[in-house]
Amino acid sequence: MRDRLTIGIAGAGGDGVVVLGSLLQRLAAFRGYFSQMPRYYGPQIRGGASGVKLSLDTARASVPADIADIMVCFNWEKYDELKQELPLGTDSVVFYDSAPPEGKLSLPRKSFQVGFSEKSQEISPTAPSKNIVALGLLERILALPANAVEGAAPHDHVSTLLERNSLALEAGRRLLSQFSFEELRLSAPQHSSPKTVLHGNSAAALGAIRAGCRSFFGYPITPASEVMEEMQERLNHGDGVFVQAEDEIAAIGLALGASLTGAKSMTATTGPGLDLMTEMIGLASGAEIPVVIVDVQRCGPATGIPSKSEQSDLNQAIYGGHGDAPRVVLAACSVEGCYRLLIESFNVSEYYQTPVIFLSDQQLGQTTVATEDDFLTKDYLVAQRKRPGAEQRDQYRRYDLTEDDISPMAFAGDEGFTYQATGLSHDDEGRPSFDFATHQLMHEKRWQKLAPLRDRDDLLKVFGNQGSNRGIVAFGSSAQFVLETVEDLGLQNEVKVCIPELVYPLPRKLTDFVDSLEKLLVVEMSYSAQFHHYLRSQIDLPSNTKSYARAGGLPFSRKELSGPVAELAR
Amino acid sequence: MSKDYRTEVKPVWCPGCGVFGLLNALTRRVLPNLGIPRHQVLIISGIGCSSRIPAYIDTYGFNSLHGRAVLIAQGAKLANPDLTVIAIGGDGDFFSIGAGHLPHAVRRNVNVTCIMVNNFVYALTKGQTSPTTPYLQRGEGPFLSLQFYPPVDPILDMVSYSVSTRGSFIAQGLASDVPLLAALIEEAIKHKGFSFVNVLTPCVTFEPPQFFKTIKERASYLKEGEPVGLPDSSPEQPWLHDSSNITLALKLAQTPVLEKPHIGVIFRGKELQRYQSEP
Repeated sequence: MRDRLTIGIAGAGGDGVVVLGSLLQRLAAFRGYFSQMPRYYGPQIRGGASGVKLSLDTARASVPADIADIMVCFNWEKYDELKQELPLGTDSVVFYDSAPPEGKLSLPRKSFQVGFSEKSQEISPTAPSKNIVALGLLERILALPANAVEGAAPHDHVSTLLERNSLALEAGRRLLSQFSFEELRLSAPQHSSPKTVLHGNSAAALGAIRAGCRSFFGYPITPASEVMEEMQERLNHGDGVFVQAEDEIAAIGLALGASLTGAKSMTATTGPGLDLMTEMIGLASGAEIPVVIVDVQRCGPATGIPSKSEQSDLNQAIYGGHGDAPRVVLAACSVEGCYRLLIESFNVSEYYQTPVIFLSDQQLGQTTVATEDDFLTKDYLVAQRKRPGAEQRDQYRRYDLTEDDISPMAFAGDEGFTYQATGLSHDDEGRPSFDFATHQLMHEKRWQKLAPLRDRDDLLKVFGNQGSNRGIVAFGSSAQFVLETVEDLGLQNEVKVCIPELVYPLPRKLTDFVDSLEKLLVVEMSYSAQFHHYLRSQIDLPSNTKSYARAGGLPFSRKELSGPVAELAR
Repeated sequence: MSKDYRTEVKPVWCPGCGVFGLLNALTRRVLPNLGIPRHQVLIISGIGCSSRIPAYIDTYGFNSLHGRAVLIAQGAKLANPDLTVIAIGGDGDFFSIGAGHLPHAVRRNVNVTCIMVNNFVYALTKGQTSPTTPYLQRGEGPFLSLQFYPPVDPILDMVSYSVSTRGSFIAQGLASDVPLLAALIEEAIKHKGFSFVNVLTPCVTFEPPQFFKTIKERASYLKEGEPVGLPDSSPEQPWLHDSSNITLALKLAQTPVLEKPHIGVIFRGKELQRYQSEP
C-alpha cells in the first residue's frame, strides 16, 4: 500500500487526456485524497500533444513525483513531445493503446497494450470514449469506486458524464482482470472528507470576489484567461462590472476608471499584457489609484512559450516603466496562497492607494489541486480605502501630506470633495506643478507610505530548522519544488527554506533570515537569475551564496534540485 | 463656490487659443444649464493642450495618459452610472495614439461623452503634423503646419470614421461659436449612449489665421428638415437634413472639412442597449 502515487497521461489533443485526469482527480477527491495535476500542452488547440501528471496523496497535496508510477498513453508520437515532462522509469506501469514505433522507445517491464480505442469502438463507433475506458481500468486498479460520487450534487457534471458513459466505464473495469496490481493500491486517505478541486487561476478569482472586487476588465491570454472567465462567470450574474476589453491597455485603463469611483478593480494577464499595462501602472502609482494586476507568468521574452511556466516577469513587475514609480508585488506559491494573497493584494492596494502586481505562474495557475477548503471559508481581514471625513468638506486636498503619507481618497461622486488629479507632477491639491521641491516631496510621500509593509512578517514563510545556518530562498511555484526536495532528501534539520510572499518591498524578516546564514541558495526559474540579482540589490548576501537559475519551459524536478540542495547541506 | 464651475487655476493655453471656447462652453453654459451638481461630473482627459482642461473645471477630473481618456471614462461610468462622464482630448489623442479604442467605445455604447478638440496639429509638442493636418497634394486645403516637411499621409477624417463605426451620436461644433457648441454638448450628454463631439478649433500659434477664418466662413449649419449646404464642387443636389439617416450622415461626413464644415448634429443613432447603465 502506498501513501502517494503519480499517474501520467499522454495523448493528442482530443484524446480526452485532461478529461480523464480531471475525472480521476475528482473521483479521488470525493474519497478524500489530496492531489495536484499540472497540465502540459503545446500551441495547438486540437491535435497537439496533451499531458497531465496527477499525484494522489493520502495526507497532503504533494507535487507529482518526477517519474510516474502509472502511465497511460494514447499516442506515442505525442508522448515523444512530452517525454521531458513525463519520463518513464523502469518500474513505471504503462498502459497504452497501440504499440510504439519500432525501435524508438524501450518500454518498461510492466507495460500492457490495452486497446482503449478498440473497446471504445466496440461500444459506440460514433462516440469515442477511450478515456472513459481507461478511467474504468484505473478506477479498479486504484480501488476508487465510481459510486464515490453518489454523495455529490445530483447535477454534478462528473456523475452525469459517468452515467452517460457507463458502458465504457464498465468495459474498462473488466480489462486486464487477470492482474491485481496490488503494488499500485493506495492507502486510505487520512481524512475521508471530500476535497475541493481548483487551480490557482480560479483561486485568484475567488479571492478577488472575497476581497470585494466587483469590477473586472481583461483580455484573453494564455495562461491567464481562466481568471477572466471565472470573474465573468461571477460578475455577469451579480451586481458587478465585467468587460472583455479591446487590449490590455484598455483593460487596465477601464480598471483605473472604475477605481476612481471607489470600486475595487482588477485585471489579469501574463508577460506581454503586463508590458502593455506598464504605462498605466506608472500612472496608477503617480496618481495613487488602487488597482490589482494579476500576472500569471509564462516563458518570455516576446511570445516565448505561452503555455509553459517561468518566473521571468519579476524585473518587469518590480521595476517596469519609466520614472520612479513605486508599487507592491506579491507572489503566491500555492492555491491557498492565490486565494489569500488576492485578498491581501486588494487590502494593500486599497489601503496604500497603489498598484499591486500579484505574481502567479502557469504552473500555479493551471495546476488543479485537490485540497481542504477551509481556506475558502475562514475569516480574513478585508481593508477599505481611507476616505476624507466631513471636516475636510469643501477644503479637501487630494494628496494631503498626512503623518502616514496616505491621503484620504474621495470617490468620484462624493459630495463636497471634488478634486482634479493628474499624471503630471502635482502638488498636494493635485494641481500640476513643475517645481523641483514639490516633485521631490511627492516622491518621498509615495515611496515612504509603503515603508510599513516591510514589517509584514506574516507575508513571509520559513520552513525547517530555524537554528540552521544553511538556507534557501525561493518564491512562487518553484518554492513548492524546493520544499519537496528538502523533504525527500530528509534535510529539514540541515536546511531551512524562506518563501517571501511580499516580494516588493521585501519584508525585513527576510534580511534577518539571510543574516543568520553561512550558506545561501537562491532557486528560481529565470535564465538571467532576476530574483538572485534583486535580492543582491536589497540585502547583503553571504559570500557563500549560490544561485540555481534556469529558463522555464519545464517544471523543476526533485532530481534536478537535489544536487544544489544536497550541496548546500554539505 | 464659483458660480461657473471654474477653479482658480490659470490655463496654460496661448492667448486666443480655441480651447478657451470649450472651457467657456462647459463651465458657463453646459454644466449650469444641465444643473448637474459638480460632484456628479467626472472629466477625464488625455495629453495635449486641450487635455489640461480638467484642472480648470471644478468637478471631479483626471488628466490621464495620451490617447487613453476614453478608457478611463468608460470604466468610471460603468462602475458608477450616476456620474456624468466626459472624455476630452485632442486629435492626436483620439485619432492617433488612441484611435484603436474608439470603435470599441462606439460598439460598447457606454453612456459617456467624448469631446475631441481638433486643432489639426500637435501643438503642445510644437507644430508637428497630426492625423487631421490637411494634406496638400490631395487638394484638401492649404498646407498649414509650420513644420519644415509637409504632411505626406492623407488625413484621417474624424467624422466619417465615427459615422462608419456607427457612433450613436455624432456632432461637430466650432470652438468660436460657444452657444452652439454648448448646445451640441448638452445634447450629447443627454443622449443615452456613446456620444462624440468634434470641435473644430483654431491653433493660434501653429496655424496661419486665415485657416480657421476659412473654416468659419465656409461653415454650414445643419438644421433638421432643411437643405444641407454642399461645397461648390459637389455634383449633388442638397437634401433635407435627417440626422437619423446614416447614409445621409455618411455623405455629410465625407464632405472635405475645409470645403464645407458641417456644424450641428450629424447623426443620432441607437441609444443604450447592452450596458444599460442608466436608471
